[in-house]
Amino acid sequence: MFRSRVLGYLLLAPAMIYIIGLVAVPFFLALKFSLTDATVSNLNGVRGFIGLENFTGLLKDQTFRAALRNTIIYSLVTAVVNSILGTTLAFILLAKFRGKKIVRYLVLLPWTIPIALTIQAWKWMFHPQYSVLNWLGKHTHIITAQYGIQWLGQPKSAMASIIMVNVWRNFPFSAVILLAGLTSIPQDIIDAAKIDGANWFTRYRKIIVPMIAPILFIGLLFNLVFNFTDLTIVFLLTQGGPGNATEVLATYAFKVGIASGQLGRGAAVTLFLFPILFLFSIVFLRQLRKREI
Amino acid sequence: MAVNEAIASLAPKQDTAQRVAPVSAGAVIRRILLLLGILVFVVVAIFPVYYMIITTFKANDDLYNLTHFPLWFTDKATFGHVQYLFQKTEFRRWLINSYLIALGTVVITVLTAVPAGYALARLNLPGAGPLSIGIFLTYLVPPSLLFIPLSQVVSRLHLIDNIWALVVIYPTFTIPFCTWLMMGFFKTIPFDIEEAALIDGCNRIQAIRRVVLPLSRAGIFSIMMFAFTLALQEFIYALVFIHGKESKPVTLGVVTDLIRGDVFYWGELMAGGIIAGLPVAILYNFFLDDFIAGITAGSVK
Repeated sequence: MFRSRVLGYLLLAPAMIYIIGLVAVPFFLALKFSLTDATVSNLNGVRGFIGLENFTGLLKDQTFRAALRNTIIYSLVTAVVNSILGTTLAFILLAKFRGKKIVRYLVLLPWTIPIALTIQAWKWMFHPQYSVLNWLGKHTHIITAQYGIQWLGQPKSAMASIIMVNVWRNFPFSAVILLAGLTSIPQDIIDAAKIDGANWFTRYRKIIVPMIAPILFIGLLFNLVFNFTDLTIVFLLTQGGPGNATEVLATYAFKVGIASGQLGRGAAVTLFLFPILFLFSIVFLRQLRKREI
Repeated sequence: MAVNEAIASLAPKQDTAQRVAPVSAGAVIRRILLLLGILVFVVVAIFPVYYMIITTFKANDDLYNLTHFPLWFTDKATFGHVQYLFQKTEFRRWLINSYLIALGTVVITVLTAVPAGYALARLNLPGAGPLSIGIFLTYLVPPSLLFIPLSQVVSRLHLIDNIWALVVIYPTFTIPFCTWLMMGFFKTIPFDIEEAALIDGCNRIQAIRRVVLPLSRAGIFSIMMFAFTLALQEFIYALVFIHGKESKPVTLGVVTDLIRGDVFYWGELMAGGIIAGLPVAILYNFFLDDFIAGITAGSVK
């Protein structure tokens, strides 16, 4: 028994050292930075420890407030639209039809091709002059403006554009997660309910929804975490512009902490992500616990 | 195009249609709605990819002429953009970098996640439950939270601008999830088999090597694929740690070096995206089911 414990901790050690060294330690380093005026060229800062000055400073910072607001709008709207489209697609993929494998492969392409690469296709489709979306819109008379839509050039359409790209990228993922949940419901339970006279609606309300609820929930959680902390899509499409119409916490942290080298202030921006992530984790843990009991 | 095949293959199975006669009007309508739904989703999902492919092979004069039909070729298709990419840019280098980084990530991930998964799933360690949940939760700590402090760690290690920086950092997001996956795989191997090996005189290490590992080959393979594709997809850390042309992975190189000021090399950009991206998509598809099983593990019974 003792020997297997020693062996156990030995086997566990490399992974633990990795996670402690490169996730936990950096996390506390970020905490430390956020309480100082550290910069890239002066890691200890000029004044060193400055308490919560970075945080109070941010709350007065117009761009930061815009970023906070945009992050919330961006992640919530995307998560909702995503869930709706994902659920629809999951139910479609649940039906029996030929060529399902090919269909699944094709609808999953947005999620399987690296987003940094496909985002360029979107940027090209949003091109101010050559936008194929404008071309399509005009030829189907959906877009009536003479020069089409300046997708990334105006505050509202820029926000709509990043949401659209995020949804395009992530809804297939929501769908496959849900599909896994749906296919895991034993058919005999549904059949039994049918025999007992449960109609379509009752079967949904009493069996299918409660059974897939946990999985739906986990999908939504992952989705929110991804959107909430997304940097790639916004950075590559709009860089937060025009103005700060699409600035989100992650892009702002990048600009402050990396591009202009203010480590302390940048770390403070990222730490605003943490309370919400922490909340997600607690909820997630509770889900897990509930299931184990 | 695969689209046509896909659409053609969506027709309901003929034999079922014949067997279930008479078909009710409701069933026909439902079938049509289903097919329409599939069509819409497939078109939305693949349109940007389709447009990438068209742009890749389109000559510039064709591309930048507003009177031309954008969804197909007006002039002759060309390999010019692909040629430019391979001859005039570091594209080949970026591809090699990407695959090297991904390989390194796979090696580190397998060497850490497999033993950890085994220990947590099999050895009845005190505190294994909270530890495994803790490991999984680090998966929810995103790069956006860590890139600032990690940039300091990387510069302290003198790895800025070095592909090794990414080899060292990428396992931070592959290890948690892969450990979680491996735990699941190890739990599916009946304990009796291992026990039998122990009784037959193997020690624990021999039992692992001769019995457990061969049985979990599928699991190990799928975490390798997982780590590999995740490493190929990464962008943020690369953006923060790598600046030199020579050390960029392809996701970074394509988007930073094919844009000169305001001039975008659209043909080359799309070519790079397709050449680098499609293999990843194909790989991903192979182990997708394992990946989903991993994420949903425990949430469905």
